[in-house]
Amino acid sequence: MTETNAYHVRSLLMRESLLDRQVERSTEGAVFRMLPEAHVLKIGGRSIMDAGRSVVYPVVEVLADCLKTWKLILGTGGGVRTRHVFSIGIDLGLPTGVLAQVAAADALGNAHMLGTLLSPYGVVAIPPEIFGHLLPLFIHSAPGVVFSGVPPYSLWEHPPGVGRIPPHRTDAGAFLLAECFGCRSLTLVKDVDGLHTADPKLDPSAELIPEISVAEIRRRAFPTLPFEPVLLDLLENARLLDRFQIVNGHEPGRIREALEGRHVGTIVHADRR
Amino acid sequence: MDDLLTDLGQALVEGSLSDQDLLARTGGPLPVQILPEANVIKVGGQSFIDRGRVAVFPLIEEVVANLGRHKMILGTGAGTRARHAYSVGLDLGMPTGVLSVLGTFVSMQNARMLNYLLAKHGIPFIEPAQFAQLPLYLAERGAVIFFGMPPYVYWQQNPAVGRIPPHRTDTGSYLVSEVLGARSMIFVKDVDGLYTADPKKDRNARFIPRITVSELRAMDLQDVVVERAVLDLMENAQHRRSIQVINGLVPGNLTRALEGESVGTIITVD
Repeated sequence: MTETNAYHVRSLLMRESLLDRQVERSTEGAVFRMLPEAHVLKIGGRSIMDAGRSVVYPVVEVLADCLKTWKLILGTGGGVRTRHVFSIGIDLGLPTGVLAQVAAADALGNAHMLGTLLSPYGVVAIPPEIFGHLLPLFIHSAPGVVFSGVPPYSLWEHPPGVGRIPPHRTDAGAFLLAECFGCRSLTLVKDVDGLHTADPKLDPSAELIPEISVAEIRRRAFPTLPFEPVLLDLLENARLLDRFQIVNGHEPGRIREALEGRHVGTIVHADRR
Repeated sequence: MDDLLTDLGQALVEGSLSDQDLLARTGGPLPVQILPEANVIKVGGQSFIDRGRVAVFPLIEEVVANLGRHKMILGTGAGTRARHAYSVGLDLGMPTGVLSVLGTFVSMQNARMLNYLLAKHGIPFIEPAQFAQLPLYLAERGAVIFFGMPPYVYWQQNPAVGRIPPHRTDTGSYLVSEVLGARSMIFVKDVDGLYTADPKKDRNARFIPRITVSELRAMDLQDVVVERAVLDLMENAQHRRSIQVINGLVPGNLTRALEGESVGTIITVD
């Protein structure tokens, strides 16, 4: 049983089980950054896009201004329509993977709306099928791009521990993209100033937490978070990104400040720095 | 209140998706089984397809013999060329997401090769974008082939340790069986199933015919027979709460596994 007659090609991992922990450890090493100058911003669905013209236009104005200075990769959330299709899908008995697959269309719709508003600046929504592969080309040919923040998990979305909502939504999609492409920063643009001691929409005495680590967030077990909880797992295992910032897009000037590297919301940082 | 929305719908539209109480309400009754008659079969890359004709031809014959008796969704592993690509890619500093793209290409090669061997039986190879046609192909021809890699590409998550994509072809195949509510998930490998150590390296390795995920975790094995992510995902699964790993080099094993017999290692969640 020791010798196989498989036709191997010579490589370091040739006869190794990729499931062996020692082999896994041996694969650690420096990671190449594909787009170290680009910034990733996730524009909230419910928090920004669904709020309509009064919120979106000022955000677009700031983004247009920022595009003169920085290369931006803009992901969009799906917002209320995604919540709605989740509720119908759950009522119809559909599994998590199907919910993830059908919900992708909502964020894509928002991407096209944002892309339409940014088209005077040469920034459009890129179809998901080509977005990843052509991203470096777009970034070097245009001031920025818009994509639906949805990661391509679709039917292959992981069933969550609790309930049936897909755990990898558009915050996760923006995070994973920024990590894989080695981007300079990730900013989540929402309708709250950041993470608070309690949900500020329910408790007006809630206080803003300017900076916090993944371990601290886990320890304090907040009842809600202003970002997808799976980001904690992803940040823990990130090699290139060591933080992300949540900023309030209803104060659009903060988007520019965040890109300048200023601390204007909540910074969540990895513990291994 | 909008009476077009259920209470849950209203809560989802207004509430936070990080709220555990709200999430708990989204569990509902078990999801529908989309293809309850289908069996998902993962054909190993390094462990099987890389062995060439001697391993693959008898398995193909066995698949053909089961057409009309069992519906089969065949996923392919990647194998030795993926290991080569990962090795070179790691040396060049490729991030995990790029390694995932490379792994996808190799499992796609294997899927295409199996596809040509089964073509005369009218069995198609489908990419993720064609999964909407899967039910038709399965109803008409009784089997389809897909590449086992989940289509995460650049969005593949980093592993906790190292840089090899943690969600590879075992995971991609398993998730297909879970989301479709399939009848079984069978991993075709070149070993009889799970051992206490890698039987290719350790002659004292002991065979384990049946085990739960929690027992498996407690053993804290250096090496396991399926991707660890499969075990994690099984714990959250709604439907596919058992898998079987079989030795496809033994004629008849696949058929017996399709009949529901235990011929390898069955891993379950409690």
